[in-house]
Order: sequence, then structure tokens, then C-alpha cells
Amino acid sequence: MKHALCIRFACAAVLFATIVLSGCAEKTRYGDARGVETVTNQFGSTDLQMIAESMTRSMLNTPIVTGGERPIMTVQEVKNKTSEYIDTRSITDSIRVELQKSGRVRFAVDAAAMDQQIEELKRQQSDYYDAKKSAEIGKMVGAAYRIEGNITSIVKEAKDVKDVYYKFSLQLWNVQSGLLEWADEKEIRKTTTR
Amino acid sequence: MKLNSLVTTLVASIGLAGCASQTKYEDPGYAYGCPVGAEKINSKSSLIKAKVEMAGAVPHIDVVDLRCAQRSEQLRIDVDLKNTDNDVRRIAYKFRWMDKDGMRAWDDETWKPVLIYGNTIYTLTTQAPSQDATDFRVVIMDQDK
Repeated sequence: MKHALCIRFACAAVLFATIVLSGCAEKTRYGDARGVETVTNQFGSTDLQMIAESMTRSMLNTPIVTGGERPIMTVQEVKNKTSEYIDTRSITDSIRVELQKSGRVRFAVDAAAMDQQIEELKRQQSDYYDAKKSAEIGKMVGAAYRIEGNITSIVKEAKDVKDVYYKFSLQLWNVQSGLLEWADEKEIRKTTTR
Repeated sequence: MKLNSLVTTLVASIGLAGCASQTKYEDPGYAYGCPVGAEKINSKSSLIKAKVEMAGAVPHIDVVDLRCAQRSEQLRIDVDLKNTDNDVRRIAYKFRWMDKDGMRAWDDETWKPVLIYGNTIYTLTTQAPSQDATDFRVVIMDQDK
């Protein structure tokens, strides 16, 4: 009698534990990589994508790009002047990809990729390669324009409200003349209330 | 008297000619400057219907105008949205780009959130990302849910 009661109790405990654990189980689903992300008000994927898209479309309107000569550009640093960590390289990478895909501009090797470029050039000069088919040293093409910018933020916080304002500025400079050929800004405001 | 009526007729004719609606000739496959392919578009509302997709219900948001123009061999588009509510409304939008054969000409754009104040018009502005992107749809989604 006592043994049967124990078995019943154990069964009930197992059943209860199963129900509780299945309720707590994690669920993973694929989401829209281009969807509006509002998990927190920190710099997020939507901000990055909106900035890249806005800057690219604006730059594609400049006479330098619309002239049809496919100007050669290089991407320099975008300074992060905000109080949070932002991978600005990721923003400039997205801008470069969109501009390149438009087919209206070309990109020269930037400072960050220069070491790899030189390494490859030197490697091709070795005896392992056919000299006639190897890339020659001294034939690289310099950029006529350089892209640089910065991102700043203003954060205001009260008891129940946090307001974040981002401003992303991008400029296109003529390397030879030092003239500013194009500049644009993208502003983003995010407010979180409790 | 005769001279007076002549002058009146002349002035009226000039005035009417000035007010007459100008006929613009559209390229085949275009309506109101926008690419429409073989679709029959005979009014602005039918153009809006053909070009705007609502991703679910978007209450109090009306598309009131849509304008297209060619700028530097690329399509430039303005879409006027009116918030008919008294309160602020939040929506998100993106453009889909197709080439002349109706094939996808560009990757999915990001959804762009927009705030529209009550009883005001907000203009979505964009430009085609490449010269291959010659046709488009604008997709609008509610963000107040």
C-alpha cells in the first residue's frame, strides 16, 4: 500500500517537472535581418542599415558619381564620438558594398587592407609564379576621392525616459585638391519609456 | 461696340488657352512618370494601387500622391503619406526594386521606421540604387501594434 503511494507520488513529480521544464524551454526562430529592431535604444542593426542606405543613395546623386566616369574612391576612418561601442568599420563596409553594387564607382585599396595587398604583390614576385602572368609592382591605382566621417550622440535620461540622438556625418574629399565634394548627414532619434 | 466685343473675345481666348490643361506625352510603359509596364493606369489612384503594398492593416495612413522622375538616368520617387488620425502614427516602409524584365534588381531594403504627426503629410523619398532598378513597389507596415 505504502509502496504504491510512493510510485504514484514519483509519477506525479516527474509529470510536474516535465510540464514545468517544457514551459521554460528555449525557442529559436529565424527573423527578418532587415526588420525594425527595437530591443534596446543602443545603436542597432536598423540604425546601421538605414545610415548605409541613406548615405549611399545621397552620394549616388553627386555630379562626381553621375558623370559616368566611375571615380576611384577609398574609405577612411569613421570616428566614433559616441559614448557606446559602435563598429564603424561595419557601417563603412556596408556603404562601400552598396556603392560598388551600384556600378557607378570603384574602390582602391584602403589603408586597412594595404598590408595584405603588398604581401600579395610580393608573393607574386617570388619564383613560384609565372613572371609574365604576375601582378607588377608599381601599377596600383590611387584613389581620386576619400570618404571619411564621424558619428556622434546625445543621450538624455530622466526617471522614466531615455532619449538617444545619433548624428552620422559623411564627407567625400578630393585627394588632389583637398576640396570637399559632397557631404551628408543622417539623424536618428530613439526614445525609450518605462 | 464691335471693337469692344472683339477685344473681350481675344482676352477670353488668351485666358482660356493659358488655363487649358497641358497634355504631356508619356513614354510607352509609363504613367505619371512612373514605370507601369503593360498595366493599364488611367488615374493617380490606380497608379498608387499598382505601386503600393500594405503589409497588413495600416489604419489612418493614406497614400495621397506618388511622383516619379528620372534624375541622372536613375529613377527618383516621392510618396506622400497622410496621417488622418489626430495622434502620432508610426509606420515602417521599404522599396522593392525590379529590373525591366520584372526580376529582382536589388537586395531587400531595410525597413525604415517613420513617425508621422497627426493630420500631416510625410513624403517618403528615394532613388533607385542602380540603373538596372527601373521599376519598384513601396511596402508599408504598421509599427504602432
